[in-house]
Amino acid sequence: MEEPRIGVYICWCGTNIAKMVDVEAVSAEVGKLPHVVLAKNYKYMCSDPGQELIVKDIHGHQLNRVVVAACSPRIHELTFRKAVEKAGINPYLFEMANIREQDSWVHTDRTEATSKAIDLVVAAIRRVQFHEPLQKRSVNVDPATLIIGGGISGMVAALEIANAGKKVYLIEKTGRLGGHVIKFDLTFPHLSSARQMIRPILQRVENHPNIDVFLNTEIRDVTGYIGNFKTTIRINETESTELRFGNIIAAVGLKPFDPSKIEEYGYGKFPDVITSMEFEEMLGTGQVLTKYGKEPRNIAIIHCVGSRNKKYHEYCSRTCCMVALKFVHQIRASLPSANIFEIYADMRAYGKGHEEFYALTTHKQIIFLMYDQQERLPVISQADRNDNCNMVIRMNEKLSGESIEVPVDMVILMVNMEAHENVKEVVHAIGVSLCGNQFFIEKHPKLDPVATTTGGVYIVGTCQGPKDIPDSVSQARAAAARILATIATGSVAVEVTTASTNEKLCCGCQTCVKVCPYSAISYNEEKRSSEVNEVLCKGCGTCGSACPAGAITSKHFTDRQILAEIEGIMSMSFKGV
Amino acid sequence: MSIRVNPDLRNELIQFGIGDWNACYHCGTCTAICPLSEEGFLFPRKKIRLMQMGLQGPLESSVEPWLCYYCGDCTKTCPRDANPGELMMSLRRYLTSTYDWTGLSKKFYTSKIWELAWILFFAALVIISFLVILPSFGYKFTTELTAEGGVKLNSFAPIPIIEAFDWIMAIIVATLLISNILRMYYKIIWKNSTTKVSLWVHIREFWLLIFNFAVQPKFSKCDDKRYWGAHWFLMSGYTIMFIVIVVFLPWFQTEKILPVWDPQRWLGYYATFGLLFGLVIAIFGRLKKKDIKFRFSHVSDWLFLVMLTLTVITGIFIHIFRINGMPMATYVSYITHMAVLVPMILIEVPFSKWSHLAYRPFAVYFTQLKKNAVLK
Repeated sequence: MEEPRIGVYICWCGTNIAKMVDVEAVSAEVGKLPHVVLAKNYKYMCSDPGQELIVKDIHGHQLNRVVVAACSPRIHELTFRKAVEKAGINPYLFEMANIREQDSWVHTDRTEATSKAIDLVVAAIRRVQFHEPLQKRSVNVDPATLIIGGGISGMVAALEIANAGKKVYLIEKTGRLGGHVIKFDLTFPHLSSARQMIRPILQRVENHPNIDVFLNTEIRDVTGYIGNFKTTIRINETESTELRFGNIIAAVGLKPFDPSKIEEYGYGKFPDVITSMEFEEMLGTGQVLTKYGKEPRNIAIIHCVGSRNKKYHEYCSRTCCMVALKFVHQIRASLPSANIFEIYADMRAYGKGHEEFYALTTHKQIIFLMYDQQERLPVISQADRNDNCNMVIRMNEKLSGESIEVPVDMVILMVNMEAHENVKEVVHAIGVSLCGNQFFIEKHPKLDPVATTTGGVYIVGTCQGPKDIPDSVSQARAAAARILATIATGSVAVEVTTASTNEKLCCGCQTCVKVCPYSAISYNEEKRSSEVNEVLCKGCGTCGSACPAGAITSKHFTDRQILAEIEGIMSMSFKGV
Repeated sequence: MSIRVNPDLRNELIQFGIGDWNACYHCGTCTAICPLSEEGFLFPRKKIRLMQMGLQGPLESSVEPWLCYYCGDCTKTCPRDANPGELMMSLRRYLTSTYDWTGLSKKFYTSKIWELAWILFFAALVIISFLVILPSFGYKFTTELTAEGGVKLNSFAPIPIIEAFDWIMAIIVATLLISNILRMYYKIIWKNSTTKVSLWVHIREFWLLIFNFAVQPKFSKCDDKRYWGAHWFLMSGYTIMFIVIVVFLPWFQTEKILPVWDPQRWLGYYATFGLLFGLVIAIFGRLKKKDIKFRFSHVSDWLFLVMLTLTVITGIFIHIFRINGMPMATYVSYITHMAVLVPMILIEVPFSKWSHLAYRPFAVYFTQLKKNAVLK
C-alpha cells in the first residue's frame, strides 16, 4: 500500500462554522498529524474556488487522500467526490467530517466546539487512510415493464409506457379492467362522469399493440433485480407464461372497509344501511330507492366509517368527504325534496377545487351534524312503528352539545380505503415493505413517493395510501416517466458500497438472509455459504452488523475503517483528561 | 333525553326570511362580538346551530332572539357572510308565529296576499262604516263650521261610538297579545322540565317589565345609541297617542280649537314629532341600506313603516284641516286615517311586527326568571 498523503480542508461555511469553531486552530492542530501533507481552511469549500483548491493541491502535492471538514455529507459529499475524481483520484478515497450540523450549529462554547471539531477531523483523517478505491457499476435494463393491477393508475401508467413504444405486461387479478373507478357514477369536484372518463382509457389499453393484458392472473414470485426481473404467471390457474421485464409498477389498489365491524351502524342488520360503494352502484341504476322500493324522504350520510378512529384505522381516507358531498348533488338531482344529513367528524376539503365544492354544496339545503370520533359514534336503531321513518340515528351533536335523534330512511356509510387483503403476496413477490396500515412504503415520503427501496420497483395509486383519481394518475405518470428514463439510458447505476461474504468464515446460520431488507442475500447450499447479490444490495450494513462470524464485510464500511475512525475520535480529547 | 330533529323545519323557517344558514361554520365570532350576549344566554351562534339542525323544540323555547336588538356587528364581522343579525331577525318573526295560537301570524308572515287581503278587508269595513252605516244612523257629513271656524268633527265621528269601538279593538288586541305572551311564558319557562321559578321571584322581578318597556336599556347597549334614541322617541310618541286615543278620546278629539300651550295640543305635537322622527330614520335607513340593521327588509318591515307613516300623515291632515275649517278634507283624512289605523292595529300588534312591543320587555323579564330558576 502506498504511503498515504492526505490533504485536509476546514470549511468556514461563511460564519456558520467559523463563528463557533476556531478554524485556524483546527487546521494548525491537524496539520501536525502523521501523513497529513497539508491542512488548510477556506471560506466556502463547496464554492468553485474551494473545489479548485483541492484539485490544485492534489496535483501540486501529489495527494492521494482528501478530508473535508464542512457540513453534512448528505449535502456536499457528492460535490467533493466529484472534485477529487476530477483531479484523477478515486472518489472513495475521500472522507467528510461534519463540523456544522454536528458541531458549530449545536454548541455555544467556542473552545469546546473547536476541540470537538478537531476530534471529528482527526477521526476522518484516521479513517481515510484505510479507504480503498471502489469502481462504479451498472446493469442493463430490459425495456419491458410489469404492471400489477388494472385500475386507473395501472392503466394510465401502462398507456404512458406503451405509447413510448415499450412493452407492458398488465396483470389484473379480476376478470375485467377498470378497478373501482369504473363502478362510479360521477366524480368530484366537477361532477363529470367517471365512466365516460375511464372507458376510452380502457379501450386504448385493451387495443394497444404494446400492452399485453393478463386477466384473472395473480403474481406469485418475482426473481431478479432492477433491469432484469423475471416471473412466471399463471392464468386461470392453468396456463403459465414466463415474463422478463426491467421494471415493476405495483398498482394493486384498495379495498373498501367492511362496516359490519362497527356494531353501532348495524350494517348487514338494517337493509337500508349501505356503503358508499353500494350507493355508487345504486346511482348507476338511475334510481335511489330503499330496499322496500320506496323513495327515501330522509337520507343520512355518515362520514369517516372506519377512518380516523383508533379502533379501526387511524388514518384519513382523504376522498370520502368530497364523495359524500358529491352524493348530495346526485341525491338532489333524483330526489329534490329529500332531507339530506351529512353526519361528519371533520370536513376535509384540501384539494384543488374542493373547498369551492364544499361551499357550493352547503347551499344545497342540507343538514350538517358533527359527531366526535373519539367520544361516541352515532348509533343506528330501528324506528318505532308510529315513527314516520325507517330508522333513527342517535348521536351527540358536537357543535350544539345536544344529544339528538335523527329520523332516516336510508343511511350511506362513507367507508374507509383499506389496503388490499392480498397485498402481502405482492409485497413478498416484489420485495417492498409495508407500513403499519398495510400500505406500501415509498422510498422517501416527500422527495420520492413513487419509488420503493427496491430498485426498479415503483408504487402508484391507492396501494401507497388513500388518494383520489388525480393523485393516483399523477403518481402513475411519474412512475412511467421514471421507468422510461431508465429504459432510455439502457442501464442503471447500482450501489457501489455493497456487502460481500467471506465463504471461509461463513458458518451458514443464515441470519443475514433473514435480516436483509432488500432480499439481496441468498444461501448457497453447495458452498454452505451466504451470497450477496450486489445489484440488489443497497449497502445498508444490517447483515454486516448481524453476522455472528464476522464473515460479512460492507465495502467502504469495513471494520478497519470504522475502528480507525473511533480511534481517531478517542485519540485527542482524552489526552488532556 | 335526546331531542328529535325535524328535518322539515328548514322549509318552514325559509318562509320567514331566513336564507341560507348553512354558510355558518361556527367560529363563534358573532357571539364574541355581540354586546348583549352573556353567559347562559349566548347567541347568535347557538341559535344558528339549532336552526341548522332542525331542533324545533329548543328553538321555540329560546328567549335569546328577543334579547338581540340588531346592531349588526355580528353580520359585519362574520367571516362567512352568514348574516347572523338577519337570522336573529327572521327567528323573531318565526317565534312570533309560534306564540300565536290562531295560526294567523304565520299566514300573515308567509303570505303577502293574505296580509294584504286582510288589510284591505278591514280598511273596507272602516270605509263602509263611515260612508254607509254611520250616516244611516243619522251621523251625517256637515259642512257647517263651529263658531271658531273649525270643522264639526264630532258630529261626523261621534265620540261615544268611536270610543266604544276603540275599547273593543283594544280588548281584542290585548286578549290576543296576552294569550300569546302566556304561550311564550309556557314555552320559555313553564315547559322546562329541569328547573322551576318561585312565585316570589315572579313578583320581585316584575318591575323589570315596566322598566324595560319604558326605557329599553338593552337597546341602548347596542353600539349606535342614536337608534335607541330614535326608537325611544317613536315608541313614546306611539304610546302617548295610543293612551290618548283609547282612554282620553273625549278630551283629545275636540271640536274646540284650544290654544297652542294647552296640554292636548302639545302632547299631540310631541307624539307626532316622535313618531315622524323615528319613521324618517327607519325609512331612510331601509332605503339607503347603509347600516346592516336596515339592509335586509322583509315585507312585514315595510308594511309596518308604510302604514304607520300613513296614519301619522293623515292624523296631521285631520288636525290642520279641522282647525282651518275644511270639512270635506277633514272627513276624507279621518276616514283614511282610520282605514289605515284599524287594520294596522288589528294585524300588526297581535300577529306581526308590532307584537315586539310586548315580547321584548317580557323576554327580559323571562330571562331574569331563568337566571333565578332553581333545579326541580
